[in-house]
Amino acid sequence: MTTVLELSLMSGKKFFVRRYEELGWIYDEFESKLAIRVNTMNTEKVYVLERLKSRGIVLEKIPFLENGYWVSRSEFSVGATSEYLSGLYSIQEAAAQIPATLFTGLENKIVLDACAAPGGKTVQLADLMQNTGVIIALDVKRRRLAALSNQLERCRVKNTIVYQMDARESSRLKIKFDRILLDVPCSGNYVTDKGWFGKRTLKDVKINAELQRQIMTEAVKIVKDNGEIVYATCSLEPEENELNIDWAIKALNLQIEEIYCHGEKALTNIFGKELDGSIEKCRRIWPGPTQGFFVCKLKKRSCG
Amino acid sequence: MKPVENFISQFKASVILDESLIVKKQNRYFLLNEDLKREIRKDFFYAGAYLGKIKDAIFFPSFILLAKIGKEKANKIIVDEKTAWLFICGRDVFKRGILKVMGSKRKGDYTLIVNEHDECLGFGKILRNMNKVKDENKVIVKNISDIGDFLRREK
Repeated sequence: MTTVLELSLMSGKKFFVRRYEELGWIYDEFESKLAIRVNTMNTEKVYVLERLKSRGIVLEKIPFLENGYWVSRSEFSVGATSEYLSGLYSIQEAAAQIPATLFTGLENKIVLDACAAPGGKTVQLADLMQNTGVIIALDVKRRRLAALSNQLERCRVKNTIVYQMDARESSRLKIKFDRILLDVPCSGNYVTDKGWFGKRTLKDVKINAELQRQIMTEAVKIVKDNGEIVYATCSLEPEENELNIDWAIKALNLQIEEIYCHGEKALTNIFGKELDGSIEKCRRIWPGPTQGFFVCKLKKRSCG
Repeated sequence: MKPVENFISQFKASVILDESLIVKKQNRYFLLNEDLKREIRKDFFYAGAYLGKIKDAIFFPSFILLAKIGKEKANKIIVDEKTAWLFICGRDVFKRGILKVMGSKRKGDYTLIVNEHDECLGFGKILRNMNKVKDENKVIVKNISDIGDFLRREK
């Protein structure tokens, strides 16, 4: 049994890089690439692309996303154009654009975005829903809700209700949801956080993994029987990803659905521990053209 | 509801809002739809289309409301690209940047500022009777609120 003190000492670049190697990935430096996503609820995609081109902004289509583009060149901030301020597009990292696209049939559904701030994925959900149905967006920190609200106003989202609420208490809402997005708080990764190796320890990872399990447990209580849960982290650590999902399918009676998106099959053997074979349906995204990410789609296991 | 209606009327616009779908949370107004109305609880933080807020007895509109007014017949000034950019940066509108005026040209009235793509950038107060101004370098509209506010809020 590893003690808390020992977990705190398990840190640093060397420690984590060795872990990644044990998981079969060789560490490399990557820069986070600036990406945007066109909000098709507010504009025609072609129209906004032409306007940005006329401003000298060079975009590259992200091959695995329908509305995502990398910003290859821009003389000025893409966060300060009239098109951005009018909500025609959002700035959203490429891998972070994946989770919301994994749901089926979002229009007119009741959707929970359980850890919503700062709101990039909430706006994306509203976009995929074409402002129909209802999104309930939660976040525990009031200051972050202000950022979320600004995003909703800027992008002219009209189908969302925001509450200051801990996702672990979301059954208080007394709503059964068709779709639940669990973009859970996580340890993050070194691509988007340059100081990551200097501040993260395995103890943080374990704490986050426990919090994520609590959030998943609550989500299972409030998802409809045929509803879909998408679970996502931007962590590379298996405790927050494969190991948590392995726990969820056993403890929460969930099953993993096939998804077709960017990324590799998730790992079914973690540091010698054999996991449920269905975990390979999850997607692990090692850093590369995108940041690190993990995503999967879950459903309640059917009785039959 | 009254502050929202009063604000809209200043643009000589006819925007119809269903009063039964408007909710007030502290000093902020939101427009719901039937689906949201069915699901909402009293302790919400933000909901539906944000319309604006009251502060010191003054109504501050949201940019969702301004865009909504802009879709209807209302006091509107279409400005050129350079003026649009300066307006977003908080600057006033000079006569030389105006491409087209719809509705009031009268001093003291309020008008939306719209770019060439018919997107509402904000609103301002007409400072001079436009028919009388010949000098292209005169300020015509004083900037009251513009979408550059989204950037300023982040600071």
